[in-house]
Amino acid sequence: MKDASVLFKGMRGGLKIHIEDNSDMDRVRQEIIDRLREGRHFFDGTTVNLVFTGQALAPLDRAKLIEAIADEIEIGDVEFGGEPKRQEIHKSGKPHMFTGIEEGMTRFVKGPVRNGQRIFYEGNVVVMGDVNPGGEIIAGGNIIILGTLRGLAHAGATGNSDSVIVCFKFCPTQIRIGTIISRPPEEEDDINPVYPEIAYIKDDMLVIEPVK
Amino acid sequence: MGEVIVITSGKGGVGKTTTTANIGTALALEGKSVVMVDADIGLRNLDVVLGLENRIVYDLVDVVEGTCRLKQALVRDKRFDKMYLMPAAQTRDKNAVSPEQMQKLCNDLKEQFDFVLIDSPAGIEHGFKNAVAGADRAIVVTVPEVSAVRDADRIIGMLATNDLSNPLLIINRLRVDLVKRGDMMNIDDTNEILGIDLLGVVPDDENIVISTNRGEPVVIDEDTMAGRAFRNIAKRLLGEDIPIMDLDEEDTFLDKIKRLLGMDKNKKH
Repeated sequence: MKDASVLFKGMRGGLKIHIEDNSDMDRVRQEIIDRLREGRHFFDGTTVNLVFTGQALAPLDRAKLIEAIADEIEIGDVEFGGEPKRQEIHKSGKPHMFTGIEEGMTRFVKGPVRNGQRIFYEGNVVVMGDVNPGGEIIAGGNIIILGTLRGLAHAGATGNSDSVIVCFKFCPTQIRIGTIISRPPEEEDDINPVYPEIAYIKDDMLVIEPVK
Repeated sequence: MGEVIVITSGKGGVGKTTTTANIGTALALEGKSVVMVDADIGLRNLDVVLGLENRIVYDLVDVVEGTCRLKQALVRDKRFDKMYLMPAAQTRDKNAVSPEQMQKLCNDLKEQFDFVLIDSPAGIEHGFKNAVAGADRAIVVTVPEVSAVRDADRIIGMLATNDLSNPLLIINRLRVDLVKRGDMMNIDDTNEILGIDLLGVVPDDENIVISTNRGEPVVIDEDTMAGRAFRNIAKRLLGEDIPIMDLDEEDTFLDKIKRLLGMDKNKKH
């Protein structure tokens, strides 16, 4: 038996995980989880980007692996060795803008997002719970909040002004979509909607209306 | 084996030290052995509130640095035999202690006591990290003001990253008259934002000021509203099921008569 089928290496903002060729997937998964548990405190409260190198993984194995890791730590961007690197796409095309708002990568966040916490994700974000004052959600795509938005939400942060913000109750400090910034009117004591609303951009104006 | 509970708030001046002193005393009244640890190194207050200032010889920093034994630094209360104080050093600052050292101290203390209460300093920096390092549970104190609730929210998030996920909430200095007029956040408003279990509500009570200055925790006096609130909090910590005090009962007998006769101008709904 080999000593280890995975090798960990630190990198800026995350971890590089090298998987030895011809390793057994169940074993790889277990080893990664064990290693992460050892350093659990180290990852507490931070988002960890992952880059996998070495043995190429089947899509199903990838999904299983990510799912298992997500139970242990907060995962940021994930990159697999076989895929073309994001930076390369940047170089080849225009400035990178997230386009998957109809259908694309999405991060699910268990709320509440409290004061001082910031969720930053390149794709869409779904928050299951409230976003409190001082909490920030910044997404490349749409933001869906299954709760009350009292903090800040920025959808389409990489420039996609077609993105939307939906939440059960809007009482935000500020909302932004693309490059448009908006805040609630100062004299609004009695605006207290009890139905879900959607915010989007129409003619360069940020509009909020009931979800129909 | 006892339990280590940290009392924290983020914002200063909301009553962490008073709360620590009163919960500690109330637990002692219930016959539990209690030690209160003042983690506010450099700005210690707990000794003053408990009226034990002039009995301090060694302090927490002396213990972690090995200048004295744990037992030597513990100050026994003048009223209750099973209640002790671990005072903070006044001539040092928060950096004199590390989270690992606090953890060890807490573990040593909980071998000997039923309850170890840690009075956390304000802020979210090193002092806070020290205070929560050895804790098994956390109590968050807030007052019904927007800024204090913001800070409490921040602290609850930080506690979660320190493995203290389900803290208990104490709403301190609630003024029933202001809440009734709609001029102060009520219990529901606070709960809606923070969303954690409520351990107790302490009404604003001038007796607190009097007792704090005298170095006698208010909880010793059974006749005060705040004292009763703290006794209830201690009982809830011990697992008793006591409903949150109906603060309306603060009405004096005269008020009730007036209301009966329809003389009360601020009619209740």
